[in-house]
Amino acid sequence: MAGRAGSGAGMVEGSRWHKWVFFHVPLMVFVVGTLFPFYWMLVTAFRPDGELYRPWRAVNNTPFWTTQPTLEHAIYLFKQTMFATWLWNTMFIALLSTLISLFCGLLAGYALARLRFPLAGGLGTSIFVTYLVPPTLLFIPLANIIRDFRLGDTPWSLILTYPTFLIPFCTWLLMGYFKTIPKELEECARIDGATRVRAMIQIIFPIATPGILSAGIFAFTLSWNEFIYALVFLSSPQQKTVPVGVVSELIRGDVFFWGPLMAGALLGSIPVALIYSFFVEHYVAGLTGAVKG
Amino acid sequence: MGRARDIRLAYLLLAPALILLVTALAYPIGWEIWTSLTDLSPLNEGPTAFVGLENYRRLAADPAFWRAATVTVVFAAVTCTVKLALGLGLALLLARPFRGRALVFMAIFLPWAYPASVSVIGWYWTLSPPIPTAYSVFMGNMKYAVDSALGGGAWAFLSVTLFNIWRGSSFVGVFLLAGINAIPPELFEYAALESKSAWRRFWLVTVPLLKPFLALAVFLALTTAFADLANVWMLTAGRIVYPVIGTHAYWLAIHGGQFGPASALSLTLAPFLITALFLLFRMFDPPEREPA
Repeated sequence: MAGRAGSGAGMVEGSRWHKWVFFHVPLMVFVVGTLFPFYWMLVTAFRPDGELYRPWRAVNNTPFWTTQPTLEHAIYLFKQTMFATWLWNTMFIALLSTLISLFCGLLAGYALARLRFPLAGGLGTSIFVTYLVPPTLLFIPLANIIRDFRLGDTPWSLILTYPTFLIPFCTWLLMGYFKTIPKELEECARIDGATRVRAMIQIIFPIATPGILSAGIFAFTLSWNEFIYALVFLSSPQQKTVPVGVVSELIRGDVFFWGPLMAGALLGSIPVALIYSFFVEHYVAGLTGAVKG
Repeated sequence: MGRARDIRLAYLLLAPALILLVTALAYPIGWEIWTSLTDLSPLNEGPTAFVGLENYRRLAADPAFWRAATVTVVFAAVTCTVKLALGLGLALLLARPFRGRALVFMAIFLPWAYPASVSVIGWYWTLSPPIPTAYSVFMGNMKYAVDSALGGGAWAFLSVTLFNIWRGSSFVGVFLLAGINAIPPELFEYAALESKSAWRRFWLVTVPLLKPFLALAVFLALTTAFADLANVWMLTAGRIVYPVIGTHAYWLAIHGGQFGPASALSLTLAPFLITALFLLFRMFDPPEREPA
């Protein structure tokens, strides 16, 4: 793929033929490969049961599209399951844990970016390292703590544990962002008599709004998508979040309710995926800021 | 205006983050290390006994553990390599502007933005359809062909690997693209004057400049593969032919109630992660650091 370097890192120079072989064809392969599972889910969500379960060689079988799209699966989802409750739970949990993480991340990020104090480097690195601790290591002890505090099967079990992976990321993202804001702005305000805290709240935070926004969106999506903690900590159907609810209530034993499953997967996630895609540039800029730190 | 005041303020500002991280991260890890040395289980009667390294000794003697460990390492190595190669390819393809780039970019990023727990069902439905489904005979034949060529369970392993690659290379690609965009374009222009071979330029210019990004991408790819518990679980619908350490621990702790051995089991991941992290930070440190 690196074969046709032009002057930049991207490789789109040379003859037509080269362009096809080294650019258009691989790109199409990538796009088809990434999107096919989504397409398959989409078709399944709108396919009537009669078409879902019929032989491959049946007359008029149309494997890659459907001739009679139906909403029966989506209707089933809202009428026969607690999908609406799950949506509400997920929203509530994601919003609260995002707010907590943003608050902590803003203050910590500012301190690490702007103030000079002993242990600053060590603390910064250890906060970053905590982001890399996988939940596989943590779900067992956390399950026990949640039980001891009698938080099991309540939204608080998730609202208080999600920040463990959200705060490190928010802190690093915002720290990188604060570093790009010229120090002079703050110094001017302080010469004019503002205290450091005032300068921070009235000058720096408003300028950092894009960074705060992207950290917030990122945190929100991560909590929306989280699976392991929600699976371990929640048990009753009316407490579940969308990912866990869809999976655990629509797969009963060996029976998969394919149509509603796919409808739930699509309805529960498309909004978040779209928001994310629109803000992806911000998010990536934040990430790279953290690397360059 | 004192420095002392700044220091106090700094700790005050860090306090909320540190308190939450210590209670919900440092304390659990400490608890886990302690528990791995005991026989804690809600099923046990009487007080919990301290058993020392017994849990670890039993693991080392257990062939099932070594199998799970091997599968985990192979899985992580394979997916990590492929994710890196595909991600780098993607990043290079998308590095220059072209018509429709924004759309392609969104499409590429979708697998990572989408909740894994539901997209994994989409994959399960695609790769291992239930019997009465329209194309189950076709997929069944594929599974049979793969399993008979590579041994039983190969299809299950392959589907988990494919899913991890599908989701991970999307992230690695976007991440490395950001890295390429952060490199001043003049450097590539000089390089183009110096050497005609694109292959040489790729290895001598692009790769070294991308090094910190590559290092972090590798680490994130590794941790997601090591920690991949839910996806292995889902893609094989709980019928885990090739257990990884994560699924093994989940089974022991949540279904078996054996917290001691389960903690020991998931802690065996720690040495891998610490080594990877150490290597990462060595690569991460740029030769000349700008003063903070």
